[in-house]
Amino acid sequence: MIIKIDGKECTAQKGEYLLSIARRNGIEIPTLCHSDALPGIGSCRLCIVEVVEKGRSRVVTSCIFPVMGEIEVLTNSKKIRNMRKTLLMLYLARVPENEKIKKLAEEYGAVVPERFSADKSEDCILCGLCVKACESLGSSAISTVNRGVTKKVSTPYDEPSKECIGCGSCAYVCPTNAMKIKEKDGIRTIWNKDFKLIKCEKCGEYFATKEQIEYINKKKGFNLEDEMLCDKCKKKKAGERLKEVFEDYRE
Amino acid sequence: MSDRKIVKVCCGTGCLANGSGVLFEKLLEKSKIKGDFAVDILVKSTGCNGLCEKGPLIKIEPDGITYCKVKLSDIDEIYEKTILKGEAIERLLFSDSSGKKTKSHKDTEFYKRQVKLALRNIGEIDPTCIEDYIERDGYKAIYKALFEMTPEDIIKEVEKSKIRGRGGAGFLTYRKWMGAKKVDSFPKYVVCNGDEGDPGAFMDRSVMEGDPHSIIEGMIICARYLDSHKGYIYIRDEYGLAIKNMKAAIEDAKNHGYLGKNILGSGFDFDIEIVRGGGAFVCGESTALMSSIEGKVGEPRAKYIHSNEKGLWGQPTVLNNVETWANIPLIILKGGEWFAGYGTENSKGTKVFSLVGKVKNTGLVEVPMGTTLRELIFDIGGGIIGNKKFKAVQTGGPSGGCIPEGLLDLKVDFDTLTEAGSMMGSGGMIVMDERTCMVDVARYYIKFLSEESCGKCAPCREGIKRMLEILTDICEGRGKEGDIELLEEICSMVESAALCGLGKTAPNPVMTTLKYFKDEYIEHIENKRCPAGVCKNLTTFFIDSEKCVGCGLCRKNCPADCISGEIKKPHFIDASKCIKCGSCIENCRFSAVKVK
Ligand SMILES: Cc1cc2nc3c(=O)[nH]c(=O)nc-3n(C[C@H](O)[C@H](O)[C@H](O)COP(=O)(O)O)c2cc1C
Ligand code: SF4
Ligand code: SF4
Ligand code: FES
Repeated sequence: MIIKIDGKECTAQKGEYLLSIARRNGIEIPTLCHSDALPGIGSCRLCIVEVVEKGRSRVVTSCIFPVMGEIEVLTNSKKIRNMRKTLLMLYLARVPENEKIKKLAEEYGAVVPERFSADKSEDCILCGLCVKACESLGSSAISTVNRGVTKKVSTPYDEPSKECIGCGSCAYVCPTNAMKIKEKDGIRTIWNKDFKLIKCEKCGEYFATKEQIEYINKKKGFNLEDEMLCDKCKKKKAGERLKEVFEDYRE
Repeated sequence: MSDRKIVKVCCGTGCLANGSGVLFEKLLEKSKIKGDFAVDILVKSTGCNGLCEKGPLIKIEPDGITYCKVKLSDIDEIYEKTILKGEAIERLLFSDSSGKKTKSHKDTEFYKRQVKLALRNIGEIDPTCIEDYIERDGYKAIYKALFEMTPEDIIKEVEKSKIRGRGGAGFLTYRKWMGAKKVDSFPKYVVCNGDEGDPGAFMDRSVMEGDPHSIIEGMIICARYLDSHKGYIYIRDEYGLAIKNMKAAIEDAKNHGYLGKNILGSGFDFDIEIVRGGGAFVCGESTALMSSIEGKVGEPRAKYIHSNEKGLWGQPTVLNNVETWANIPLIILKGGEWFAGYGTENSKGTKVFSLVGKVKNTGLVEVPMGTTLRELIFDIGGGIIGNKKFKAVQTGGPSGGCIPEGLLDLKVDFDTLTEAGSMMGSGGMIVMDERTCMVDVARYYIKFLSEESCGKCAPCREGIKRMLEILTDICEGRGKEGDIELLEEICSMVESAALCGLGKTAPNPVMTTLKYFKDEYIEHIENKRCPAGVCKNLTTFFIDSEKCVGCGLCRKNCPADCISGEIKKPHFIDASKCIKCGSCIENCRFSAVKVK
């Protein structure tokens, strides 16, 4: 199937999401809540595009829009740019100091009208990606609570969560770097909970929490305790082994 | 042979709240008195008659007498005079807005113009008595559907009826059903949406309470067409009586062989389960409702794949509104063409509205599509309360819109309401008089939506939050130049970029008031004045000395004691002490109190 995106012909599989077709073809569509590993949230609405079908145009959300027929897509029309501008104005009003949003807003010429009240310390845009990351890991330590305009991301009752293993996946996926993780003297603090960090046996750097390692052991059914190495050292070690093998071979 | 009198006591939620329960008990007790009178008395409790405001209602048949606002102390007299002797008691009869007394409610302006299809049995039958339903042709349609019609015959009748869903969007029902039929994946599900989250709406509640079998019968017919064996009725949690009556009806239907295994010996199985709603307005949205039934958080998802293809647990699912289901047995029994005989070109049949607000007769009304707003408000509703002027009517629930006086002759159907910037929604209709500030109305609905939006997607959550901020500022006197343009900009983005129907329609209250009442916004922002005298910071009341006759009514009713004046001489308001409650303007019969 061939679809036309911004005039460019692109091949597509039936049912494939519009955003991935565009990206594969080098067409950039801005996103906030999308992650290739955790698709399907569709909450930030920045990825909206215009789809023209049988002469009629409509606005769709490209990250969750399955392409079912031969359509024409406009990812950057005036209408779409204006809508993104208004949306980014609202985002910026919510998180006025956030670097990522500031940059996007500038790109679209969005400025916040003075009349809006704002919380300067806020960075979360409530996209829900962190919650999904945590959920798909199987911990479900955080969730969105409340509804409507009072919605926020939190642990149950704002208490330190029993489920949280301190892995920091939530912070890793966050598009706006909203999660504040503190690491000091071998202690990682996340969601009001302190975790003891484990040192890499080789380089001596802290690399994971105890709970995280226990969790992986349990999930995968193997024992990492024998060799507590950080990713960097693991790679290095693998490389060394390879070298040893080569050297043995040469001899 | 003795005379048979049927006494129907309205036990809809409204009448029950006004004490009809004890009236029913008392009448039941009386009916059991053995005497040598030639009357045999049958007392029944029925569902809502739609005229809650005049309740408790009691109807006596076959005399065709209807009594309003009946008190416990009236019962003895009703028994002696009306039931035993057939005499009407003048004082308890229904009186029209003109004060004219009418013997039967059916002869009143309120009822005369109505056509009861969906509400055909409500108020007439005892909802907990399956025999009552059967006596009025109930469950006849499923005999037809099971033994005389093929699935294709069924869909043909529904197609001919051109019925559109009564829950909001007005989607053609047969198309939805056909879409689910086409998908070759089983099981398939049939769902009834009884969430009814619109504040003030009670049409679906009254059907579930007053005629539960009509919904069950409608669902069985669709299940038979789809070859589905499982249905769900999702009922708003606060609707205790609806849940109770629906549950009892399902049990009765099973005991009579209409539901469950091998229905009426046909070999077809279908069962229905009741699910209690999650409590949020957005749970009435189809995809949120389905995730709620699945036991997940009731949040909407994108509808690029329709739920008739992939709905409950990823299976083909037909979801219809309560009122839609209640119409289905009639369509099968009397034929699609008969049904399509009512209504307009593209909206067939009737629609139930809950007519409330500043009209004289409030209540549930069912009229053919295409009835004008004027007929609804002035003929059926009896016009505006007091000597006030009509200002606007709000239709379609919280995310509907406000329609001005200039459009009173609009023939109401799905399309005309949408063209006017509002919508049908589930049929809410709130009448507003001249003492309504349209900016305040917009603020009120946006406030409701700010609490009810699920908050998942940014346009809806952030857009509503900022609209509320601007509207509140305007109402409190902090409106700024550029606010109208900013509202318009946010509205147009939210309308296209929000994820679900709630967000997409949330701008309606703002957009329609801006469209039809822009002057009022401008007055608030530029002149810091609320012409309706509602927004306290922007209101100054004064008494027009030319019009004031000095009756003193305003003075007596002013809670702040800030009106002075001698009897028969013009009165004055001390603006510095006035708390802007509006009691003076409400009470003055000479329109002498004005807004500066
Ligand atoms: C925010 C929101 C709330 C809704 N609430 C209801 C409701 O309470 N009852 C209802 O029947 N439909 C409601 N709907 C419409 C449903 O999504 C759905 O369209 C309808 O139940 C389908 O039935 P119908 O085709 O018979 O109208 C709502 C829609 C939205 C967007
Ligand atoms: S913390 Fe980050 S990932 Fe989580 S909802 Fe907020 S912006 Fe999204
Ligand atoms: S439009 Fe509003 S109610 Fe609908 S998904 Fe978005 S936030 Fe939730
Ligand atoms: S990336 Fe598509 S909605 Fe967020």
